[in-house]
Amino acid sequence: MIRRPVSPSQSQGNNGAVPPTVLVVDDDPSLREALSSLFRSVGTRVELFGSAPELLNSRLPDGPSCLVLDIRLPEVSGLEFQTQLAKAGIHLPIIFMTGHGDIPMSVRAMKAGAVDFLTKPFRDQDILDAVAGALERDRQRRERERALSELQSLLRTLTPREREVMAFVATGLMNKQIAGEMQLSEITVKIHRGRLMKKMGARTLADLVKMAGALGIDAPGK
Amino acid sequence: MRHRLSRPASGNSRLVAPLAILLAAAIFVVDTIDPFSGAVAVLYVVVVLLAGTAFRRRGILLCSIACIALTFSSFWLVHGEEASGGALSRCLMSIAAIAITTLLVLRNQSTSTDLSEKAQLLDLTHDAIFVRSMGGIITYWNRGAEATYGWSAEHAMGKSTHQLLQTVFPARLNEINRQLLSSDRWEGELVHTKRDGAVVVVSSRWSLKKDADGKPLAVLETNTDISQRRRAETEVLKARAELAHVTRLTTLGELMASIAHEVNQPLAGIVMNGEACLRWIDRDEPDLDEVRSAVKRSIADAQRASDIVHRIRALSKKGDIQMALVDVNELVNEALVLVRHELDANRITLKLDLASRPLPAFGDRIQLQQVLINLLINGIQAMASSNSDFREILVTTSIDESSQANVRIQDSGPGIDPDSARQLFNAFFTTKTDGIGMGLSICRSIVESHGGDVWIVPNPGGGAIFQFSLPRVEKDAGS
Repeated sequence: MIRRPVSPSQSQGNNGAVPPTVLVVDDDPSLREALSSLFRSVGTRVELFGSAPELLNSRLPDGPSCLVLDIRLPEVSGLEFQTQLAKAGIHLPIIFMTGHGDIPMSVRAMKAGAVDFLTKPFRDQDILDAVAGALERDRQRRERERALSELQSLLRTLTPREREVMAFVATGLMNKQIAGEMQLSEITVKIHRGRLMKKMGARTLADLVKMAGALGIDAPGK
Repeated sequence: MRHRLSRPASGNSRLVAPLAILLAAAIFVVDTIDPFSGAVAVLYVVVVLLAGTAFRRRGILLCSIACIALTFSSFWLVHGEEASGGALSRCLMSIAAIAITTLLVLRNQSTSTDLSEKAQLLDLTHDAIFVRSMGGIITYWNRGAEATYGWSAEHAMGKSTHQLLQTVFPARLNEINRQLLSSDRWEGELVHTKRDGAVVVVSSRWSLKKDADGKPLAVLETNTDISQRRRAETEVLKARAELAHVTRLTTLGELMASIAHEVNQPLAGIVMNGEACLRWIDRDEPDLDEVRSAVKRSIADAQRASDIVHRIRALSKKGDIQMALVDVNELVNEALVLVRHELDANRITLKLDLASRPLPAFGDRIQLQQVLINLLINGIQAMASSNSDFREILVTTSIDESSQANVRIQDSGPGIDPDSARQLFNAFFTTKTDGIGMGLSICRSIVESHGGDVWIVPNPGGGAIFQFSLPRVEKDAGS
């Protein structure tokens, strides 16, 4: 009978990473407790906050996490909080809880990147599903970020020459054309190219082009 | 004092005049043919006294002159020019007696005319005036009393006032009498029953009449019928309560979104707790502690929803004014429940600075809540229309220098220009495009009917401060 959200605890557990956590921000203590009970009943970690500043002042968990936020919060409203988080570079998926008649607010929230919004009172399965989706999304984002930062550290191992060659390769130029552009011999270009492929861990040209795209490398001089 | 002081009986004069003439003629005859030459003429005094009962001043004087003339002519006819000294002196004595009697009669008559005129004045007034002995027996009863109560003077005289009028006293009778005896007067409102059974409310003034030794003799009671005024006042009160009720409903209408939110919140809690509860039960090993606390939270939420519904019902109900001892701090918190959501929706920060001790006041809970809600909404709306980012409402309660409960609601809105401030509490005055200008005027009428005051001062930091105070509660003053 127990329906669990995609059990990320297990998949993460395999990697030895921190289990996913739901962060609940609601000024109504009773509702906060109810949400906590619901998440705990399906084995998901929860942290509770009474207000937006309270959350900002505490250490956020390292593992995948998502925010469950009342759109109407005292002091800092849910929408303002969303903006503040974005400015602070915190990209947690947000699930908004709204009351009736909060449609304009919900629209704004969605446009600002909220993943979901639920009108109170909602079915438990709805919020569990929404949370599972959000956590998965955050996990993927973290995965992407980790991969990107790996690529960036690899990129730092290249010499300026090699980086330049990589940029030309990524735009699809032949070795001869690159040699012409850089006023080098074709053989020198070939050596640089072999070395940088190795350093970046790219097995094929397609791999390298994808990496250059992820790293945002453009052809020099453009 | 007598029931009616006897007036000069003009009705008797027809009978008295021939009698006097007859008597005068008889005396004249006896005096003229007097064989004893005694002082028969002295008997003219009786004629003058008789005239005194029937005639006014002129008649008495004429009668007296006629008597003197008759005495003198008898003397002339009997003695002629050779009157003896004794006869002359008898004649003069008679004339002197007549003159003195006349004087006395005239004086007596003017006194009694005075008195009767005064008594007539008492009959002219519409007030019910009566005199009762210290034992409560009516000894005087004016026309006003006849008109007011329907009992004639004949019927009322000799009866006991409080029995006849079934008096309802505003305080214990002993207490009233004590005050009457110590200060010689008493004033208050009494309820009397008329002859036809109808009830009249009278404003009553009692004064004590004492004899030379200071011993209380009687009570003069003057009663003015104020039933009409009382009825009108009751009508006004009723109309005012109805108006307050209607504006209360309007206010509740404006708060609809807030109210829906406040009720929805605990309902969402109940649903969520219930669902969590089922999940804890359905686990392979049901966790009863979690189940228990979820159920407890559900119950608390249901209680909360019910409280809010109850409060709104109370506000929307059209009930009689119920004056009771209330805590102003508690009223502030209750009113805030209904407008809290409105504050959030307009991103207004609420600051509270409530007196640390309960703030007692005597008033109608619902109406005072209405005042608070109106003033809060007023502040919220003022700020909602401004573009400023600083939005704050500060609610302060305190006991002021004169021990009155004082409430301040300070907003950071655009403030109120002095011209508007003067009219702000008038009915139908509004600065809003969609307002009808009833809210603040109702606030004033409610606060004033509680014996308090409401006023507005500019907020030095921008915005307005609405303030009201309620009279101190005596009972608390000592503690």
